[in-house]
Amino acid sequence: MSHANNLLVQDCNAALTLQLPKLAPLRNSILVVTGGTGFLGKWIAESVATLNDGFGFGIECHLIARNIQRFSTECPHLCNRKDIILRRDDVRYMSELPRDTSWVVHAAATPDNREHASHPVEIMSAISEGTTNALRLVSRLSQLQMFLNVSSGLIYGQQSLDLERISESTPGTLNCSEPAASYTEAKRFAETLCAAMRTQNHIPVTTVRPFAFVGPYQSLETPWAINNFLRDSLKGNPIRVLGNGKTVRSYMHGADFASWVLTILTNAKSGRIYNVGNSEPMCIENAARMVANCFAPMPEIVIGSSVNTYPHVSRFVPDVTAAQNDFGLSLAYDTQRAIERTVAWHRAISQ
Amino acid sequence: MNPPQKKLRVAILGSGNIGTDLLIKSMRSNYLECTAFIGRNLVSQGMQMAQKLGVPISSNSISHIEENPDCCDLVFDATTAKDHFIHAAVLKKLGKIAIDLTPAKVGGMCVPAVNMEECLKQNNVNMVTCGGQASIPIAHVIGKTQKDVEYIEVVSSIASRSAGPGTRVNLDEYIHTTEAGLKLFSGAQRTKAILNLNPAHPCINMQTTVFAKVDNPNIDALKPELERMVKTIQAYVPGYNVILGPIVENGRIAVIVRVLGLGDYLPPYAGNLDIINCAALSMAENFAIERLEYK
Amino acid sequence: MRTVTITDVTLRDGNHAAAHQLGVKEVELYCTALDAAEVPIVEVGHGNGLGASSLQLGESKDSDEKVLKAARACLKKSKLGIHVIPGFATIEKDLRRALDIGVDVVRVASHCTEADITERHIRFVREAGKTAFGVLMMSHMISPEELLEQSRKMENYGAEAVIFMDSSGNFLPDAVADRVKILVNSLNIPVGFHAHNNLGMGIANSVAALSAGASYLDGSARGYGAGAGNAQIEVLLAVLQRMGHPISIDLLKLLDAVDAAEKAFIPQTPVISSASLVSGLAGVFSGFALPVKRIATQFNVDARQIFFELGRRKVVGGQEDLILEVASELAQQQKQQQSQNQLQQQTQQQNQENNYVTRK
Repeated sequence: MSHANNLLVQDCNAALTLQLPKLAPLRNSILVVTGGTGFLGKWIAESVATLNDGFGFGIECHLIARNIQRFSTECPHLCNRKDIILRRDDVRYMSELPRDTSWVVHAAATPDNREHASHPVEIMSAISEGTTNALRLVSRLSQLQMFLNVSSGLIYGQQSLDLERISESTPGTLNCSEPAASYTEAKRFAETLCAAMRTQNHIPVTTVRPFAFVGPYQSLETPWAINNFLRDSLKGNPIRVLGNGKTVRSYMHGADFASWVLTILTNAKSGRIYNVGNSEPMCIENAARMVANCFAPMPEIVIGSSVNTYPHVSRFVPDVTAAQNDFGLSLAYDTQRAIERTVAWHRAISQ
Repeated sequence: MNPPQKKLRVAILGSGNIGTDLLIKSMRSNYLECTAFIGRNLVSQGMQMAQKLGVPISSNSISHIEENPDCCDLVFDATTAKDHFIHAAVLKKLGKIAIDLTPAKVGGMCVPAVNMEECLKQNNVNMVTCGGQASIPIAHVIGKTQKDVEYIEVVSSIASRSAGPGTRVNLDEYIHTTEAGLKLFSGAQRTKAILNLNPAHPCINMQTTVFAKVDNPNIDALKPELERMVKTIQAYVPGYNVILGPIVENGRIAVIVRVLGLGDYLPPYAGNLDIINCAALSMAENFAIERLEYK
Repeated sequence: MRTVTITDVTLRDGNHAAAHQLGVKEVELYCTALDAAEVPIVEVGHGNGLGASSLQLGESKDSDEKVLKAARACLKKSKLGIHVIPGFATIEKDLRRALDIGVDVVRVASHCTEADITERHIRFVREAGKTAFGVLMMSHMISPEELLEQSRKMENYGAEAVIFMDSSGNFLPDAVADRVKILVNSLNIPVGFHAHNNLGMGIANSVAALSAGASYLDGSARGYGAGAGNAQIEVLLAVLQRMGHPISIDLLKLLDAVDAAEKAFIPQTPVISSASLVSGLAGVFSGFALPVKRIATQFNVDARQIFFELGRRKVVGGQEDLILEVASELAQQQKQQQSQNQLQQQTQQQNQENNYVTRK
């Protein structure tokens, strides 16, 4: 096994071991993931491989996505397994799912905000029609135990700076008439649709609202600060922090993300909603330092690297007490370790 | 020539706006019969339209042709460049003629008014770009009638609404392909293509200006050739008209053409999309005449 | 505290006024002087930016590559900026080479309603680790809310600032302030404004932008720029100083630079000519001034009529070929009018003669 794959298995082992007893319902079941080749999809696939290989879970995992080619090049080690089945399909137009499916994770829709800006109508269609069709499909599955809808932490709108962490009950601040709201409003619609299907058709549904992540498989091309820091450092360039560095985020490792989602999938009560992410706030200046610390010689950090140092700051940190209290969820990797693991993986795959 | 009894069977890959417009155009043709309208989504408007028109539909993409190799003789590909690379290999194996409306450039560049005969010998032809279909014939007659064409430049303005997300993200490819086509068909030493999107309401019609830098502009030689060329184009793009020129202004030759679309499935202001479909259809009809020997 | 960053656009916007004849010589002279004055960003190139030298817009005296290399060699403290419009410049033909030469700041521009064509270019610049700004031109043509929508797209693509341009010199100060406010309130990135002086509002509009929260302002030496010119950079600086804004630029050295520029390559400082005034009122791109003047003379038609017709047709920057079409149409109308007048005169004469005969 290559060094890079080894790292991934270690990551999954660390994250899954914490939840292992709670994941027992997954044994010998069929799990379907829509949007199966995205960041979450890949980590679920890695986790399934780890659970099956290391703990004899015997899960059959179906990954459904429009573009499966990229998955084949990025995760060749997951492509020739009998327990991971790739299917090229558009969730909007699919006509059936495996009959004996017990678990569905509905994660179709890109979180890339450039896509949202350029193709808002396509995004809204993918989320609204995709979720509608997915819910209709699962309503015909007699074995279905849970449909987990992957929503987004962005549905709260801009977090107020004096609010330490956003909890699930915080009302949103979005203006639905702006095209910029296309992704988030569609996600809100999808949540309401899930609630409607739950009450009308008695489909077991739970929703997660993911926040910010770091880890192997996250494309460094996405325009998010942590990825830019990693990209700059890997290229041997100085790290450019655009604003004054005081913007606050929190980062969860991809393996923890998958393990939390699988735990919520198999343990949540129908109708419950959970934030998923790291609740430890971190200003992006510190995140840049953590990235820099992984390199020798250490890259220079340029704060206010854009021409004009603009004092704008924002905050995006989840309150995850609900997930912690209900399932005893915790993190295998704090931010520091998550960043170190990410850098190690990028080094391994570039060798 | 009399319309043939037997028609060439064509399949259309891609059920978006371009594909659906091609469907309507081919339904009108005396030489073509659409025997498969193929996409991915059975509930799309294009599919509904095809169903109403009684055309066999499929949501199986290229697999439909692979599984039913006898369903057609010629395939219009109105999907994406990425998909056409895959489709082209399949169609070649099955011996189908491919008319490619994507920027994939697998086959040679095809502008019916300029190189029809040559294209009829090929099995995969590429329809260049909308600006290329409008301007290359003019660049070609400039190259033919003027000595030492140093430089040709083409500026196209299209209605903002007629430029979909695909066009917008591929502006660079549009420019590179149009420039290559201009060079190939005019023999100019240097070429440049520029594209403007105009958001005015009501929508503007597609307009293309061809500028040329030549040693001694010879308008008398250019005029009759240009008139002949415009007539040839009008035979398959009725809305194609010269609105200014040829004139010499500031030491450069200038010709402005306007393209009004037929308004089949696409609105008339989308002359940029219509001209490429008209050219593709004309190419298919000529393949029909050639292959079915109705000369 | 919010600081204001000044960009000198003389060697780019001034190229509209100079028919794109500002080349290596002018770049070397003025860049050296601006660097000494520590102007934060110096923009150079064809009036319509990288890769825009063309018959449509006018050909540059020197190639992009030569001009950028010359500027790069002269700028030590100031950052080297360029203007890039997708549809003219492509990544492979133009932008990659410009970054290789050492451009620091790329201002990726589009017509104010077409921000989504800037996605790839902004991405490319950011991924190369350079600074990318979004620029929205002809911004008077849309409402503040629409301007925000388009700016948001650029922010999402990774723009580090959004600058909106009053390309026609059509705005009044309140309109500028309204737009800056809504952008500053809703975006996470700084906002900038670029003025034209067709209605004499270049400085006033810049000040309004600043007071409303703008972080970037553009100016040019003596206002040398398209149409009636830009905000005059040296005046802008003096006004900012009077307003008590901390400015890092050395005013005296900037005045030296501007004086040297005027002597070397500004044959006539910009004035608000009648044609420019009409152009501003009609909301036509200021860069049309010279080509309209030339073509109006050739077709023997009134330049002001051309501007009104272009305004009516809502042309955007880059559609200079329409000047030819409009001028030729106006010339034809004039001819028809003349022959009609002649006909009328003849008939009147005849009628008079007939009357005369009858009376007789």
